[in-house]
Amino acid sequence: MSADALGPAERAQRRSDRLIWTWTLVVVLAIYLPILCGLLASLSQGRYFRFPVPRWSADWWTRTLESIEIRLLVQTSLKMAIAVTLIAVVVAFFGALAYARYDWKGRGVFQKLVLLPIFFPQPVMGLALLLWFSALGIQLSWQTAVFAHLVWIVPVVTLVMAIQMYGFDPALEEAAFDLGASRLQVFREITLPILWPGIWSGALFAFLLSWGNFPLSLYTTGPDTAVPEWLYAKMVAGYTPMVPALGSMSTIAAALLLLVAGLALRLRRRRVSP
Amino acid sequence: MANVQGMAEATGAGWRDRLFSAGARCALPVYVLLAAGFLAPLVTVVAFSFATPRSFDAFRSFTLANYAAIFDPANTVWLSFAWSIALAATAVLILLLVAYPIAYGLARVFGRWAGLISLLFVFPLFVSENIRLYGWVLFFIRGGVLDGTLGYVGLSAPDVLYTVGATLFGMVYVYLPFMLFPMTLGLSTVPRDLIEAARDMGASRLQIWREIELPLAMPGVLIGVLLCFVLSVGAVAEAKILGGQSIIVITHDIEIAFTYAQNWPLGSALAVLLMLVVGGLTLAVIGRIDLDRILGRR
Amino acid sequence: MTRPEPALALAAADAMAREPILRLSGIAKRFGTVAAVDGVDLVVPEGEFLTIVGPSGCGKTTLLRILAGLEQPGDGAIVLRGQVINDLPPNRRPTCLVFQSLALFPHKTVGENIAFPLKMKGVSPAACETRSRELMRMMRLPDAYFTRNVTRCSGGERQRVALARAFAYDPDVLFFDEPLSALDYKLKKLLEKELKDIHKETGKTFIYITHSLEEAMVMSDRIAVMRSGRIVQVGTPEEIYTSPANRFVAEFMGEVNVLAVRRRPDGLYAADETLGPFRVAGAAPSEGYIVVRPEFLRIVGDGAEAENVIAGKLYNSYSLGSRMQYRVRAGDRLLIVEQSRAAAATPQIDSDVVVGWDSRDALFIDD
Repeated sequence: MSADALGPAERAQRRSDRLIWTWTLVVVLAIYLPILCGLLASLSQGRYFRFPVPRWSADWWTRTLESIEIRLLVQTSLKMAIAVTLIAVVVAFFGALAYARYDWKGRGVFQKLVLLPIFFPQPVMGLALLLWFSALGIQLSWQTAVFAHLVWIVPVVTLVMAIQMYGFDPALEEAAFDLGASRLQVFREITLPILWPGIWSGALFAFLLSWGNFPLSLYTTGPDTAVPEWLYAKMVAGYTPMVPALGSMSTIAAALLLLVAGLALRLRRRRVSP
Repeated sequence: MANVQGMAEATGAGWRDRLFSAGARCALPVYVLLAAGFLAPLVTVVAFSFATPRSFDAFRSFTLANYAAIFDPANTVWLSFAWSIALAATAVLILLLVAYPIAYGLARVFGRWAGLISLLFVFPLFVSENIRLYGWVLFFIRGGVLDGTLGYVGLSAPDVLYTVGATLFGMVYVYLPFMLFPMTLGLSTVPRDLIEAARDMGASRLQIWREIELPLAMPGVLIGVLLCFVLSVGAVAEAKILGGQSIIVITHDIEIAFTYAQNWPLGSALAVLLMLVVGGLTLAVIGRIDLDRILGRR
Repeated sequence: MTRPEPALALAAADAMAREPILRLSGIAKRFGTVAAVDGVDLVVPEGEFLTIVGPSGCGKTTLLRILAGLEQPGDGAIVLRGQVINDLPPNRRPTCLVFQSLALFPHKTVGENIAFPLKMKGVSPAACETRSRELMRMMRLPDAYFTRNVTRCSGGERQRVALARAFAYDPDVLFFDEPLSALDYKLKKLLEKELKDIHKETGKTFIYITHSLEEAMVMSDRIAVMRSGRIVQVGTPEEIYTSPANRFVAEFMGEVNVLAVRRRPDGLYAADETLGPFRVAGAAPSEGYIVVRPEFLRIVGDGAEAENVIAGKLYNSYSLGSRMQYRVRAGDRLLIVEQSRAAAATPQIDSDVVVGWDSRDALFIDD
């Protein structure tokens, strides 16, 4: 059937499809526009941003990479992200099992309660945690920030893993059991390998969400400073192009991590099915 | 659904396994974390809201003075509340219009590109919002990207920064993914053959949308609306970075009370009111929705 | 693998002569207020191919899962080779269940799937491989499939992998939960025969459940008909077909004509309206049902005769290949007649026809 023979319904469909595509691409461009502006600002030589950029230079990038202060910031953010990832993956894995795999009496209530920290504004949660730590007399540090991150990130990662687990066929575990495997063997040979991609995505989410978190870190790190906090402080007072430079580097690092993780997942899938 | 109870029985597990089923035991770490990190702080905030103003003796004093101060018409702090709610509601309305075509595209139109496009929308969540919002500052500021580009044709950029409009724009920008993904999830649960059957029975596009797609996608849409509203009503970065304090939102007031003003009880009272709005809405909506069906359990 | 004894011809009498491998007494299981299995007694001789057949929801899957150990019975005893195995977990029972979905491990290759039970027992990798390849040969799977991921195998191949894996466990009894139900007709027919052949070759006891009568008739030594958690009749396919215990079994075994009749003072039976009188072979109670299979009902007239006749109009005719099926309307009943194409000329639709049967070809059931 050639394009000329399209009925009015099909033509209307094509038109609306095209509109949808156009609108989506416009929005995508708008989403990435500020990130692009940041990149431009970091590559301008002058201290204050002007567009069109009078002189391009990678000076600020070099200075950012060499700055000791920034190195410390990155270390702090990295420490926090790694700690959050390790703890979140374990806690959320079991949480996801309770969410999607096992049929138990309180499951319905559990599913809804776990969502509450997600449906809660982070700045308010950060402030509440600040209050609570202070009331308990706990010194604020990157460790308290890790705890704060976990309160928000564990539910998110639980959901991410639960979504993957919904597709898990319980008959596989029963069959393994029936074929002579002990419970530990069932877990090691069947459950874990099949759920591994979900665990991997969960870990990735945990890391990236912690790395880029601003509101929770702002109120709970105390004397320690994470990358987003420093960026904010400098935005308000003491702007230098190191700010967009570090911001752009942070963004690029996140993108690279996603890319590498995605490739690793695809390679693993290909290895498993020759 | 794995009959783990059956398997537990089959291995001759004792009474302990039956009392604390496998599911309950798996849920325990999450519960402990949330009890210590979510429930306890909020309870502390509630306690502080009843403490003597400007003091730190929660759990030891009880007074409604803080709430009285808020509702005192002379105090302008209720204005922050009103602004926050108004901004959040407007942002949600705008987001419904902006996100729906995209969600529709992801669920029906984009086909094999849907995954990539979803990724493009997810990625900004991993970039902290202050970086992204500051990018808009660089865009809109005097001498910034917009001003410079318009300068080529002899125009100059309008002064949009540090206004209410800019704050609203920032909120729409930041919370788009939170409207988009639940909406997409809701739309994708509408089976294609229902739509084809309706078309076969003579329904027009508009009728199909109104009678079939919208009602079936509604749970997802509702979750998107709820999520965006509660997150926007408590948001503060947009007002600070893009709004330049042209308006003070409620969370900013809470922050001031906790930090500069050192008036924890007042800040807590404000926070409690905010939590009532957020919590009330959340429990009302989530209580009615079947999560298993939305998240894809077969 | 030691060469098994060839399976013996299994007439019901022969079967009962040997010590049964599996004995079920009073198996019951409730889910809430619903009794999924409501008192099942069964004795299975060694080496038999027993099929449990019944409509959806009759409890056959639950019963199988109880036998496999994946569910605990609320009541009753499962005795395997003289030992009560109620408390044995599935991984220690010498039984293996082939799931409806086959439950092949998607992240493992064909070889790894088949070797799984051996690996769980601690067999060395080399011995695992040898045995896997042996089983693949037995199941007629190409040797090259050893390293192929199971998700890339066709439906029939996956069935064979699932079977090979079950045999690698070397169970005493194999359970099958409707494994062929999702396959297309041709593949199903092929696999039915293969399954029957494998049963004969290996001599293992097979307990198979299905809702398809056809499968059961083709493959089984004995059939157990199940309904609402109870076993209604057990017997060879022939017995079940020719002597169903009640209307449920008779109707379950295929399309039948059922006439509710009452005995008249003169010894003949008549249906409630003006149908009849009919002669019934042998002694029979005063009330009951005459059951006539379509192939014993024929169109009479023009030389063909029958002991009992009913007059009606031809409603529709259907071609079943070498046979024709006619539906005849008599009053508000629809009678089903099946005869070979050559038997008589096809009458016109809506024309008057007379159908009949001989009393010795009909059954009388009182339930």
